[in-house]
Amino acid sequence: MKKKNFSLILGVFFVAIIIFLFLLSFVYLPYSEDQMDTKNRFSPPSSSHLLGTDQFGRDIFSRILVSTRSALAVSTSSVLMGTVFGLLLGALAALSPHFIESILMRFVDAMMAFPGILSAMVLSAVLGKGVMNASIAIAFFMVPVFARLSYSMILESKKKEYIKAAKSYGASTPRLFIFHMLPEMFTRLITQLSSSIGAAILTESSLSFLGLGIQPPGASLGLMLSEAKGYILIQPYQALWPGVILSIAVLGFSLLGDGINEIIKGEPDYE
Amino acid sequence: MMKKTLFCLLAFLVSLSLFARGGKETVTVEEKINVITMAIPVDPDGLDPMLTAAASTFQITSNIYETLITVDEKGNLEPCLADSWSISEDGLSISFYLRENAAFSNGKKCGSEEVKESFIRLMSPESLRCKDYSFISEIETPDEKTIVFKMNEINVAALSSFAYPWAAVVDTEESNLKNKPMGTGPYCLSSWVPQEKLVLALNPYYGKEVKNDGFVLVVMPDLTAEITALEAGEVDVILITGDLASAVENKGYNILAAAGNGLQLMAMNNKNEALSDVRVRQAINYAVDKDALIEAVWWGYGEKIGSHFPVVLKEYVDLSDAYQCDKDKARALLKEAGYENGLKLRMDLPKNYQEYVNAGLVIASELKEVGIEVDVNIVEWAYWLSEVYVGRNYDLTVVGHTGRLDPYALLVKYLSTGSENYFNYSSSEVDQLLGMYKTELNEEKRTEYIQTIQRILSSDVPALYIQDPIQIFVSASDVYGFASFPINIYKFKDVYRK
Amino acid sequence: MLRYILKRILSALLVLFFVSLITFVVISVIPGDRAILALGIDATKESVEALRSSMGLDKPFFERYFSWLISALHFDLGVSDVYGERVGSLILSRLPVTFSLTLFSIFIASVLSALLALLCQMKKGKGLDGAIRGGVILISALPSFWISLVALIFFCGKLKWFPVNGYISPDKGFLPFLRSITLPSIILALGELSLLTRMFRSSLINSFNEDYMTACKVKGLGRVRSMVHYGLRSAIIAPITLIGNQAAKLFGGTVVVETIFSLPGIGRLLLVAVEQHDIPLLEGVVLFITTMVVVMNFLTDIFVAIADPLIRQSEGGVK
Repeated sequence: MKKKNFSLILGVFFVAIIIFLFLLSFVYLPYSEDQMDTKNRFSPPSSSHLLGTDQFGRDIFSRILVSTRSALAVSTSSVLMGTVFGLLLGALAALSPHFIESILMRFVDAMMAFPGILSAMVLSAVLGKGVMNASIAIAFFMVPVFARLSYSMILESKKKEYIKAAKSYGASTPRLFIFHMLPEMFTRLITQLSSSIGAAILTESSLSFLGLGIQPPGASLGLMLSEAKGYILIQPYQALWPGVILSIAVLGFSLLGDGINEIIKGEPDYE
Repeated sequence: MMKKTLFCLLAFLVSLSLFARGGKETVTVEEKINVITMAIPVDPDGLDPMLTAAASTFQITSNIYETLITVDEKGNLEPCLADSWSISEDGLSISFYLRENAAFSNGKKCGSEEVKESFIRLMSPESLRCKDYSFISEIETPDEKTIVFKMNEINVAALSSFAYPWAAVVDTEESNLKNKPMGTGPYCLSSWVPQEKLVLALNPYYGKEVKNDGFVLVVMPDLTAEITALEAGEVDVILITGDLASAVENKGYNILAAAGNGLQLMAMNNKNEALSDVRVRQAINYAVDKDALIEAVWWGYGEKIGSHFPVVLKEYVDLSDAYQCDKDKARALLKEAGYENGLKLRMDLPKNYQEYVNAGLVIASELKEVGIEVDVNIVEWAYWLSEVYVGRNYDLTVVGHTGRLDPYALLVKYLSTGSENYFNYSSSEVDQLLGMYKTELNEEKRTEYIQTIQRILSSDVPALYIQDPIQIFVSASDVYGFASFPINIYKFKDVYRK
Repeated sequence: MLRYILKRILSALLVLFFVSLITFVVISVIPGDRAILALGIDATKESVEALRSSMGLDKPFFERYFSWLISALHFDLGVSDVYGERVGSLILSRLPVTFSLTLFSIFIASVLSALLALLCQMKKGKGLDGAIRGGVILISALPSFWISLVALIFFCGKLKWFPVNGYISPDKGFLPFLRSITLPSIILALGELSLLTRMFRSSLINSFNEDYMTACKVKGLGRVRSMVHYGLRSAIIAPITLIGNQAAKLFGGTVVVETIFSLPGIGRLLLVAVEQHDIPLLEGVVLFITTMVVVMNFLTDIFVAIADPLIRQSEGGVK
């Protein structure tokens, strides 16, 4: 019996929603995200304000659209930074002599010991706030994840026969890395990338929620939720949509990762 | 394996509970009936009144320590640790007569010698306020109950400076007042779990009436949680902002809304090239609709002002309508000053004050309409203190100033050589008036000087003066007696449950 | 076995050294002057300089690092700028909250996900299986601060099932204390549900495929009995590793929930340290949390090594 890959379908669907909103924000933005209309605060959803307005009379829909920009910008850039440095670090460790290798890997373990939100909080104190700094702060805890990934993959492929064969022909180490190991790593990388982006979006919004990430008057889902938090007694619905979109984004990327994983592994673990 | 794990976990939890319960079984302050619980947003930064600059800390220390004199709700001076006081005819010495049987909460008597020691500590360099009291040249203690402060020159602000909470009398023999406060006030610290709560028990040696059996301050950083806790009956008194007033209205609570003798303003750095031009500063004043701003940020809970002077003081001149919002006039003034093609300014907002951040955002959006591009920067309080306030390295910032009793203490911020003049404002006329005020004994003339300064500030506008904030205290339906004062103190002893 | 443990201890010590170095380096570049912050706005230049040298801020970097490290090894983390109290005792006073929160939520998550995984296994391939798997992914993806907000309003405000005022300290009775951290623990547990359920499920499925389950059937043991006694037992080793690692992660990730529920735990201490630039407190809390993470991971590894002879033999068990 052939089963449908629900994770992949749903994942693609949710990610598509987020990407659609992201693209829409460049094409069609009903209002500027910081345009205030203080006389019309907390207005209910209407034709002029699709999702209503917030405490300054800013259009919630427009702010959500702009929020997807910061969510995607911070998450992809932090994951990319984390990937590049992580892969290099892991590869360096795997290809170094044993002594350096174990020292490097203990360093990676040490980075791993900083829980994501902790390192992001501390780094935000060092770097200050804003999109760029939030990305760097989040990248910090992506590094060890990818370092371990590339480390373990290289160790595995080292054992494989064709690498040994190539080595016996006199292929150099960097050459081996680029032409033989990298393609193999690529597929597993994609899986990790997708779920990391989900985690990064969540961390960015948590940071912004705590007031350490994206700063006003910018827009971020976490920031919107933290502003809505203050009014949850009198305007509870304000917290609804940013929360829903955030959940869709996080869910979408983690499902997408699962889905890809299922394709590659042929679902041995889960089906 | 699973069972074992579960068992281990349970055993651990149980042992944790046994360990934690091993305390004493006496009746604690919190279990008494007539104990009032109040929610506060942040911990005090220690309980030593001379080693703090935080308003939220003074509101607590003013109940543990006593000042020689204090104020009532209108700002009139009242007896406190001193029963009475007198000023010599030449105006160069002030005598205080201490009340009978004054004692610290450890039982030690508090006579004139102890008061003198405390003031020596206040005037020593380790205290943050030493400069404010450098006008005192000598302290004499002719007898047990009398203490005399001598001055070299006349200072009309001297008497009221004894009412500020940092001038409280402390037991100087206690080395760590930050954690072990020791004063003569109605309460003493029973326990303090940082970020959780402070428990104030009655000071057994206080000797005057206290209308409750103790006061508990619960730290709750979230206003929503505070309101929900009030609804659930877990706290009795909270302080809320205007935007949430609708959440507590018509629910039977006792609501006290009172002007707080504070000043909220957007300071402009007068050394900035563009802002040094008075036309630019006036343009900014014309560009902002203050009523709409107060409505948007404080939901109308504020008294609009037009100069650096709180509404409640008697020298107040109403200048609040000096700049009617007029965007065209603002654009014209900007054009005249040579900025018709736009102007870029940076605005630093202190992150820990949500209302100032909000006000800054609204102002920035209004200034955008007249062509002033504002780059908003939310900064930590530490950065704000060192870079904006002390370093004066900023263009625009929104902040609030807390209440003072004497106009001089308020307006000294505009003295061109003053250390608090973070506006970088300089006007020889204001300097001269301030100098004259300080030594003038004629009440009418003094009032006239102060009113002139207010008018000068209103036309020079070194800042955009926004409002005197209205504070909203909400207490449970059976809790009465909470009052608001023109300086940063609370009087917990007058709060009671019916 | 002894050799493995020894090796593991050595590597944990090396990790801890790096952890302390990273902590100190990162925190020492935080902008802002501690001395000005402590003295407030009216401080004179001379008093700032005096305080700087008494704080040791004028010494070279490595000297400061090693003196900090050495006193940390003596459990002396210095004095907090904000509270004027020893950092060590501040952390200790917060520890029960965060510790019970972590333990309680990982306990809830484990029990719940083990049950869900069993259900999945019994109804494998049917609608319920899919529904549970989809459900846990959905629940775990919901941002904890959003659920916390909604829960606070609904369960504490409307239904009054739990106290809002959050926290009741354990010295007022253990049950009220446990009740006061139940809601935040459940919310934290929800975030762990998906990972744990999937892990339980796949390791259950793997072990049910093994031959001895067939043997059980042959012996005529009941389905539930064989599941609990044999299936679970062999399925537990992989999840133990995961539970250990997740508990370690949770320990440093309680800050958001602690903030919303006004729980006086380590997470909020951290937030105060970050916001107020309380350097000694920040260094202390970060070092403490990371050390706990390293220790918890270490203990998990040892535990697994004891439980699973294969890892012991393979020697390469150092991750």
